[in-house]
Amino acid sequence: MNCLQTKLNSVSRKGRWMVLLAICLAMSCNNILEPEPIDLLTDDIVLNEPSDVPLVEIGLYSAFRPIIPSLVIAGDFTADMLVHNGTFSQYRELGTKQITSANASVTALWGSVYNTIYIANFIIERLPEVAGVRSTDRDRVMATAHFLRGYAYFVALQTYGGVPKVTSTDIEVNRNMPRASAAEILELIQDDFNFANGKLPATPVNAGFAGAQALNAAWAKLFLYQESWPQAEAFATAVIASDIYQLEASYATIVNTDFTREAIFEVGYTLADDPGTNATIGLNNLFVGRREIIPSNQTVLALASVESGDRFASISFNPNNLVGNDNGWSVAKYGTADANNNNVTVFRLAEMYLIRAEARARQGNVTGTNSAAADINVLRTRANAPTVGSVNQTQMLTLIENERVYELAYEGSRWYDLVRTNRAATVMPAFNSNWRSAYERWPIPQREIQSNPALVGNQNPGY
Amino acid sequence: MQKFLLFLLLLLPVVTYCQVTVSGKVTSTSDPNGLPGVNVTIKGTTQGTISDVNGRYSLNAPGDGVLVFSFVGYKTQEIPVAGKTLLDVLLEENAQELSEVIVTGYSSVAKRDITGSVSSIKADKFKEISINGVDQALQGQVAGVQVTQSSGTPGGGIAVRIRGSTSISAGNRPLFIVDGIPVETGSLSARGFGGQNDNALAMINPNDIESMQVLKDASAKAMYGSRASNGVVVITTKRGSKNANTKISFDVQRGVIDPVNTLKLLSSTQLLELQREAVTNAGENPDALGLIRGITDGISTDWQDEVLRRGIMQQYQVTASGGDNNTTFYLSANYRNEEGVQLNNSFERMGVTMNFDQQLARKLNISTNLTISRTLNKRVKGDNFLDGVYSGAIKSLPYYVPYDENGRLIGPGSGMYAGFPNFNPVAQALLPRFETLSLKMIGGINATYEIKPNLRLKGQVSVDYNDITEDQYESSQTAIGGFLPSVGGRGYGVYIAQAATNMVSNLTLSYNKKISDQHSFSGFVGTEVFRTFYNGADVQGRLFPSDDFTYIASAGIVDAGSSTKTPPGGLFSVFAEGRYDYDDRFLVTVGMRTDGSSNFGPNHRFGYFPAISAGWRISNENFFKSGIVTDLKLRGSFGYTGNERIAAFQFLGTWSAATYNGNSGVSPNNTANPNIKWESTREINVGTDLELWQGRLQTSLDVYHNKTSDLLLTRPYPFTTGFGGIPDNIGDMENKGIEWSATSVNIDKVVRWSTTVNLSKNLNKVLYLADSIPLYRGYTAEGVDATNTVRVGHPLGTFWGLNFLGVNPATGNAIYEDVNGDGLINNSDAMVIGNAQPKLIGGITNTISYKRFDASVFFQFSYGNKVLNFTKATLVNMGADIENNQSEEALRRWRKPGDITDVPKYELNSTLNNLHSNRLLEDGSYLRLKNLSIGYSLPPKLIQKWMIDQARVYMTATNLWTFTKYTGSDPEVSTLDGSTTAQGIDFFTLPQVRTISVGLNITLR
Repeated sequence: MNCLQTKLNSVSRKGRWMVLLAICLAMSCNNILEPEPIDLLTDDIVLNEPSDVPLVEIGLYSAFRPIIPSLVIAGDFTADMLVHNGTFSQYRELGTKQITSANASVTALWGSVYNTIYIANFIIERLPEVAGVRSTDRDRVMATAHFLRGYAYFVALQTYGGVPKVTSTDIEVNRNMPRASAAEILELIQDDFNFANGKLPATPVNAGFAGAQALNAAWAKLFLYQESWPQAEAFATAVIASDIYQLEASYATIVNTDFTREAIFEVGYTLADDPGTNATIGLNNLFVGRREIIPSNQTVLALASVESGDRFASISFNPNNLVGNDNGWSVAKYGTADANNNNVTVFRLAEMYLIRAEARARQGNVTGTNSAAADINVLRTRANAPTVGSVNQTQMLTLIENERVYELAYEGSRWYDLVRTNRAATVMPAFNSNWRSAYERWPIPQREIQSNPALVGNQNPGY
Repeated sequence: MQKFLLFLLLLLPVVTYCQVTVSGKVTSTSDPNGLPGVNVTIKGTTQGTISDVNGRYSLNAPGDGVLVFSFVGYKTQEIPVAGKTLLDVLLEENAQELSEVIVTGYSSVAKRDITGSVSSIKADKFKEISINGVDQALQGQVAGVQVTQSSGTPGGGIAVRIRGSTSISAGNRPLFIVDGIPVETGSLSARGFGGQNDNALAMINPNDIESMQVLKDASAKAMYGSRASNGVVVITTKRGSKNANTKISFDVQRGVIDPVNTLKLLSSTQLLELQREAVTNAGENPDALGLIRGITDGISTDWQDEVLRRGIMQQYQVTASGGDNNTTFYLSANYRNEEGVQLNNSFERMGVTMNFDQQLARKLNISTNLTISRTLNKRVKGDNFLDGVYSGAIKSLPYYVPYDENGRLIGPGSGMYAGFPNFNPVAQALLPRFETLSLKMIGGINATYEIKPNLRLKGQVSVDYNDITEDQYESSQTAIGGFLPSVGGRGYGVYIAQAATNMVSNLTLSYNKKISDQHSFSGFVGTEVFRTFYNGADVQGRLFPSDDFTYIASAGIVDAGSSTKTPPGGLFSVFAEGRYDYDDRFLVTVGMRTDGSSNFGPNHRFGYFPAISAGWRISNENFFKSGIVTDLKLRGSFGYTGNERIAAFQFLGTWSAATYNGNSGVSPNNTANPNIKWESTREINVGTDLELWQGRLQTSLDVYHNKTSDLLLTRPYPFTTGFGGIPDNIGDMENKGIEWSATSVNIDKVVRWSTTVNLSKNLNKVLYLADSIPLYRGYTAEGVDATNTVRVGHPLGTFWGLNFLGVNPATGNAIYEDVNGDGLINNSDAMVIGNAQPKLIGGITNTISYKRFDASVFFQFSYGNKVLNFTKATLVNMGADIENNQSEEALRRWRKPGDITDVPKYELNSTLNNLHSNRLLEDGSYLRLKNLSIGYSLPPKLIQKWMIDQARVYMTATNLWTFTKYTGSDPEVSTLDGSTTAQGIDFFTLPQVRTISVGLNITLR
C-alpha cells in the first residue's frame, strides 16, 4: 500500500513537472519565434561603421562583375562573331537573330546593371553619414560608387538606349520609373565620371579594381562613342602616356593569363568565385564545355588572316568537335576556374591604341608619326602581322573596324562598334537574313515592362 | 463468529438464486479457436469481464440478465442468460468497422460521430501493392486526394494534393504526421538530377503502418492551424494489443519490374533520310555535313534497349507483436530492395520499428514509438539533364555505339564518342556513383496521466531526425567528369552531408462529461512547441589522378565547398477543441488553434485558425423510421486554415556574403516586407454519410468550397529597384469540388465480394493576382514566354503556347494563329492552350474471397487532364537541329507540295516549324489496372504441425494494364517533380514501371 502511495505521489509530481515544463516552453516562446539570423546582416546595420565600408565596396564590385561577361554575349553574339550550337532558347534567339524581349540574356544584363546601381546608390546615400571613416577611404569608395554607376549606365545606354534614371534606393519611387532620354543618361554618366576624377587611386591593388586610368579609359571610350574625337584622343593618350601599362610581347599572353601588364581594369574571378558568369552558365562552359556558342565561320577566317597574325590564338580547334553543324572551333579566351584566364576585360591598353587610332583617323591624321597608322602598327607589330602602309582615311576606318575584330575578339565590342559607326545595316543582313534594324538595340526586358507601369508602351521600336 | 458464517451460508442460496456463473467461449469465423479481448458486460450495469487469450470468459450474472458481447470490428451481440451457465458465442464480423476510431489531430473520435470530412485507409488496402512509400499508398484510394508519381524511378518524387492546390509558392504538400510528429516530405537531396527528386516519405516502411487518416476539411484539420491548408495525413504505426498471444509473422515478396512502355524511335537509315531531307530543304549539302548514306547509318543502336533492363524487387519483413495486461509491444524488421529499370538505379531500405505501451501505474500510461530506417538510393540523372540516362537514350543518335570493339565503354577523347549533347547514355548510367545514403529516426514518448477518470493530461515529445549524405563521383569517361572541362576536367567528386530535424513537444488536457442521458461533452486544450533544425555541408573536387581515385581527398583541386546552418524555425501554439452531443442526434465541434511562427515579423507573427462543424443524425429522429437505413447523417463545417511554409527572414531586409577578386564583402540579399503573413484558406464543407442494411452499403458525399487568400508569392519588382521581387501576399485562389465514396458488401456468403469506389472532381482557379501580372513558369519554350502560366481566371498548371492550326500543304510550314493580327508570330500570339488539372479522378477496388482464395482488383483513373509532351519538341523537332534522334511520328512529315499531314516540313536550323504550341499538348486521361492480387491461404491441417497459424501465398501485379490515348511513353509523369505551377509535363521522363511479384506470408502460433 505504501509502495503504491509513493508511486502515486511521484506520479502527480510528474504531472506537476509537466505543467512546469509547459510554462517554461511558453516562456521560451520568444527564443523560438525570434531566432537570430545566421550569416546575414540586416539593412540597418550593414553600413554603420568604418569597418563596414570595405565590405560594401566588395559588394559593389561583386554586383558590377556579371555585367562584363554579359557584354561579351551582347557585343559579339548579337553581331556576327558567334553562332549558336546548343540547346538554350535564349542563345538560339541570339544566334538566329530572332531576339525577343523575354530573352534571358537580355534580362540578365539589365538586372546586373541595376543591381550595381542599387548598391552604388546605397553607398552614395549612406556613406557620407558614417562617422569615423578616413577621408581617403571615403573618397575612394564614393568615387568607385560613382564611377561604376556611371559605367553601368554607359553600358545600359549603348545596349538599351535611354533607360530609367535611378539615383536613389527608394523602392517605391524606383518601381514606377519612366525611361529617361539618352541625353539625360549621358549627363548622369558625365557627372558620375567627373565626381570620380582625382579620387580613384593612381595604382589600385591590381587591375581587378578601378583606378584613375580606368576612369580615363572610360572617358576615352565615352568620347569615342560621342564622336568627340579630340577628347577621345586626349584621354586615350593620357592612359598610354601614364606609362603604367605595357603591351604584352605575345598576344597569347592576353588569351591565356589574367592581370597582364596591359590590363587597365578587368573583373576578377578566383577559383572560389568562378563564374556564374552570365547569370547561370560560365563563359568557359558556354564556349568550350557545352559548346553552346561557337565562332562563326567568317570570324574564324578573319582571325586566320595574315593581318590578324598571332591573334588567331583567340580561338582553338578540335577535330573531335567537327560534327554536323559544328565547325570545330572554340573561343579560347576564357578558361576554367583553375586556369589563369577567367577574368573578363573591361579595358586594356590595346583598346586605347584602337580608340586613339580611330579618333586620329577621324580627325584626318591617318598616316605618319603619331597617326592612326602608327597606333595600328603598334598592335600589328605585337601580333607579328604586316604593318599598315599608305592608306586613305576611308581605307583606314575600314582597317580599324577589322583591327578591332582581330584585337578585341570575344571581348564584347563588335556589335557596339557596328552600331555606333552605322555599319550594322550593311554588315549584318549579309551575315544573317533575319537581321532587322531593331536589333541595333536590345529590347527592354519584358518583365520590366510588366512590373513597372511607367514603362508600358515604351518598348524599343520593333520588339 | 461461527454463527455469523452460518448466517451467511443461509443467505447464499438466496443470492445464487439471482446470480449464476456464466462461462463460455467467444469465437468468430476468422478466429475459430477463440477471440481474445472481447468485452462481456451485463446489460444495464458496468459489471463485466474480458475474454482471455483462448476466448474464454466467466462472470456472475443475474439469471434473467442479458449479456452484451462487444469487440472492435464485430457486431455487438446481446444474449439473454435465461438461467444458462454455458454460453458459447460466435461473433459476427462487421461488414464495415462501425466502431472504428479515427485519430484526428490530438484526439480520437468514433468514425460515426465525425462532423468533419475525414477519410481513413487501413493497411490491408495497400499491403500487397508494390510501393516504396506511404504517399504512394494513397493513390486512387481516397476521394479528394490526387496522387501522381513523377516517374518510374524507385524512391522518386510523388505529388500528393488534397482537394487541389492552395498555394503557388509556399508548397502544396499535405502535412504528414507520423505518430504525432510532422515528418519531412518532399526532396531531401541537395543536388538536382534533372527534375526527378528523391522522396523523404520513401524512408518510412508502409508495412509498419496501421492506418492513415486523411483530414480534408477545416473542422478535421483545425488542430493543425497554420500548416493545414493543404490537408493533413495522420499516420499511425502498428502496436501490440493487450492480453494477446505473441504473434510472429514473416513476409516475403519478390518480383520483376519492367517499364510500362517504350518509345518508338527511328532507325539509323530512317533518321539519316530525314536529316538529309532537312539539310537539303535548308539549301545545304547533306554530304558536306557528313550525312552520308551507307556510312553514317552503318550502325543502328537502340539506346532504350541499351539503358533499360528488367529490375528485381525483393522485400522481407519479420514482425512480432503481443502483450500482457500491462505491456504491449510491436517489433518489426524489414528490408526492401527495388532495382530501377534504368541500369545502375536502385532503392534499398532497411529498418526496424519498436513500439511499446506500458501501464506504469494505475493512472499512468506511457507509450513509445521508435522507427529507424536506412535507405540507399543509387540514383541516375534524367529528364532535363542532357547527360541523363533515359533522357540521353531516347535523344541519342542511333549512329553511335556504347562500347568499342574491345567491349570498353566509349568516353570523351574517343573518335567514336558522340560528344555534346548526347554523350554515351550507357556510360552515364554505369560510370557515375550517385549514392544517397539516408538515415531516418522517428521516435517519441508520450505519457497519459488520468487525474480523474474523465480528466486526462497527456504529454508528448517526439523527434523526426533525417541524416542525408550524398556520395558522388563522375569519372573522366562521363560528360561532367571528362567532357566538360569547365566542370570536371578529370573526374568530378561531390560529397554533401545534411541533417534535418523536427521536434515537437506538446501537452494536452482532455475532459469528457456525460451530463445526462442526452447531453454529453468532451474537449481538450493544449499547447505545443514545434521546432526545425537544419544544417549541411558540401564539398566538390576535380582533377583526380585517375578514375581509381574517387574521393575528394584525392582531388587535384577542391574548388568549392560550404557549410550552412538554417536558423532554427519554430512554431508556438495554443489550441482547444470542444465537442457536444445531444441525444446522439445533434453533434457540434468547435476548435481553434493559434500559431506563432518564426517565419513572420512582429506585425503578423501570430495567426488564428478557428473552425466549427455540426452534424445531424437524421436516422435517430423519431419521424425517421427505416429498416433499410441504419445511419444517415448530415454534416457541415466552416473554418480557416493556413500555410506558413516560406523561407525564414523574408520580413527583414538582409545582406549576405559576397566575394570578388579574392576579397569578401556583403551584397543585398532580400528586401524587407514587414507585413508578410500567412496564407489563409477559408473552407466550407457540406457532406452526408449514409449507411444501409447494417453497414452492407456505406456511402459519403462531400461538397466543398475553399478560398485561399494572401497567397505568398514573390511580387515581381522591376530591377530598377535593385531587386527582382519582394515576398508578399498578393493573390487569391479557390478550389471547389465534390467527392463521393462508397463501400459495399455485394455478397456475403461463401463467396464474399465487396466493392470500394471513390470519385472526385476539383476545380481550381486563380481569383486574383496583385498588379494583374501573369506569371510564367515551367520550362522556357521556343518563341513564347514559358510552357506554363499563372493567370487570373485559370487554374494552376495552365499550359501556355501558340495555337497550331496545321500544316500548309503548299509549303509544308506550320500555321499558327496570329492572334493579334500583326502578321508576325511571336510571344504576343501565345494563349492558354489547356491545363493539367483532371476533370475527374477516382479508383475502384473489388475484393472477392471464396473459401481459402482471395482476389483484389484495383483500377485507378484520371480523366480530362492534359499532358504536355515536351519530349516531342526534341523528338519531332522539324530540323531545329540534327543532333537528336526523332520519333516515328516524324515519318508523317510533309515532304512535297500537296501533302496533307499534321507534321510540318523538316528544315535544318529553322525553328519556325517547332515553335511552342498545342501541337505538343495531348489528352492525358488514363485508366490503369493499378493492382491485381490473387491469394490462397493454406489449409490449417497442412500447416498446424509446423506451428503455423496462418500461411498465405499470393501473386500481385502493379500497373499491369493502362488504357490511354497519350502517345508518349506514359501519361502519369511530371518532369518538374513537385511543381505547383507546372505539373503534367513529360520531358524525357521515365515511364511508370510494371511490377509482378509473388509473396508468402506466415504467422506462427
